[in-house]
Amino acid sequence: MKAGIQTRLFFITTLVLGSCLTLAGYILDRSFKASVLAGAEQQLRLVTYSLMGVVDFVDGRVSLSAELPEPRLNQPESGLYASVQMRESVRAWRSPSALTSDVPFPEHVLAMEPGEFQFTEVTDPAAPFYYLSYAVIWGVDDGTVLTFTVASETSAFERSMRDFRRNLLLGLTAVLLLFVAAQFLALRWGLSPLRQMADEVRQLEAGEREALSRVYPLELQGLAENLDRFVEHERRSRSRYRNALEDLAHSLKTPLAVVRNALSSVNGSLNGSGHGSSTELLREQLARMESTVHHQLSRAAVRGPVVVGSTVVLGTMIERLVRALRTAYRDRPIDVTQQIDPELRVRGDEGDLMEIFGNLLENAFKYTQTRIAIQANRVAAGIEICIDDDGAGIPEHLREDVLHRGIRADEVQPGQGIGLSVVAELVSLYSGTLSIDTSALGGARIRLVLK
Amino acid sequence: MRVLIVEDEAALAGQLVAALRSAGFVVDAAKDGEEGFYFGAEYDYDAAIIDLGLPRLDGMGLIRKLRTAERNMPVLILTARGNWQDKVKGLEAGADDYLTKPFQMEELLARLNALIRRAAGYSSPVLEHGELKLDTAKKDVRVSGAPVELTAYEYKVLEYLMLNPNRVVSKTELTDHLYEQDFDRDSNVIEVFVGRLRKKLDPLNPIRTVRGQGYRFFSENDG
Repeated sequence: MKAGIQTRLFFITTLVLGSCLTLAGYILDRSFKASVLAGAEQQLRLVTYSLMGVVDFVDGRVSLSAELPEPRLNQPESGLYASVQMRESVRAWRSPSALTSDVPFPEHVLAMEPGEFQFTEVTDPAAPFYYLSYAVIWGVDDGTVLTFTVASETSAFERSMRDFRRNLLLGLTAVLLLFVAAQFLALRWGLSPLRQMADEVRQLEAGEREALSRVYPLELQGLAENLDRFVEHERRSRSRYRNALEDLAHSLKTPLAVVRNALSSVNGSLNGSGHGSSTELLREQLARMESTVHHQLSRAAVRGPVVVGSTVVLGTMIERLVRALRTAYRDRPIDVTQQIDPELRVRGDEGDLMEIFGNLLENAFKYTQTRIAIQANRVAAGIEICIDDDGAGIPEHLREDVLHRGIRADEVQPGQGIGLSVVAELVSLYSGTLSIDTSALGGARIRLVLK
Repeated sequence: MRVLIVEDEAALAGQLVAALRSAGFVVDAAKDGEEGFYFGAEYDYDAAIIDLGLPRLDGMGLIRKLRTAERNMPVLILTARGNWQDKVKGLEAGADDYLTKPFQMEELLARLNALIRRAAGYSSPVLEHGELKLDTAKKDVRVSGAPVELTAYEYKVLEYLMLNPNRVVSKTELTDHLYEQDFDRDSNVIEVFVGRLRKKLDPLNPIRTVRGQGYRFFSENDG
């Protein structure tokens, strides 16, 4: 089975949102880092300017004319260091903070053009620093170039970046979760009419409802109405078909009854007058016509399992049939026991099922001596129904014939052959099985399995 | 026995009427449900044969209407469709038995007799009251095992009285149930039949006269 619509929508939107949020996170992170670096450079520049204000350069040596403007430059290992170097000289002035620690001030900055700022980030994990170097022509006369370099440890900036990243991750994750939850609800709500429709179609199939409800959103309304029309059309055409068949049955069988009765009175009056054999022939042919009409019409009237079916409460239906048969067989005290779960439902057309059980039960009433036992059980293959009686039973060698060819196993009580073969056809149409066995009661056991 | 036939197919109705008359029944025939109801409500019948597919008012509706009007005679339904839904609905509507077309006249007569017998409370086709036995299937009457020769009308009177035991049956009721409407309705004829019947049943005397009202079959089984 393919993934459901809800799963598909959910999967794709979550994927898209996840990528969007990742990209956004990446961009935000980059921008933040850039602004952190810009801030660091700005800070170092300010330190450089204030350092330039207090530096004297006399006799090739750098000295301070006043207190250093930035207290951290005096404080050993404070994380902020400065150096002033003269081009063409290895000696350089270093801020007191740098005296005890070995800050690797870059060498290449000495080659810088005067008036140039250079910001360098050294990510060496042993000594990560930001450097800002500025070369300036100090002595206008001799053209001395001093290079100011201010170094700052990166840890403070990195901490703020770590904080930012953590907050960013938390925030984006929260957004993602919120969105996923919202989307889940939106999908459920948005797709609920489809789910409802699926449920209702299932109920329609099971015969628990007649039509779909009329509360679908615009997009589905058309589909729902078409489905209803289809169901209604099927129902109508089936009932039209059945009515036509019933009319046919009526208009064929009544004349057959008339002919049969006329024939029997003719036979009575003409007995021994030489017409006996021709009336016998007529009677034979008439019997064939009757049985063909009966058999074919019974077969044609079968609805069979339908797309939009119905279910029948087995116990209630059998109860009705037994009550009706008791009325018809009032003369004989027959003990009928039923073991059927009152909740048990069988899927199928009520008319068809009544035909199946009516014929089977009527046979049981006809052939039993005193007892009939009916029981129904759920089995792996569906529902198994057994009808037992204590009559003469059906001899083993006749069982197949009785079920499949419609010949009569017993000429004494006519009708059974055709009845059972119609039942067998009906049952196979419903993909069920019908078998004959010997009952523990002594008579026949008809075993029926319906899906 | 007076029987109502409601069948719209003229040919079949004609055959039914003829067969039932020759079997000794008094028959009224109606062509549709409404007419059937008129007859059924107007007259007292011992049984009715009703086709399910009737014009105007269908068989099922007719049975229901008759039962609502408290007409409780046994009803045999005839159906061409022969499907179980109809049979069950017919029996639930108040019918007592069904027969699918086409049927054999002998079977119809047997079912009809059984219905009438059953309605009177007998489960066997042989009605027994002490030494008196009446076999409804063979139309054979015996007193203490010895056969009694009865004319058709004498037999009908005895059968009707035995099917209505311990109840006063008026001469009019007997005439209604045993003779066609155009029969001479002189109640003296009934008296003559009963008189002859009594002689033939001697020494038993199960038929008592209730002065000014009619006759009563006195069942010895009931003391």
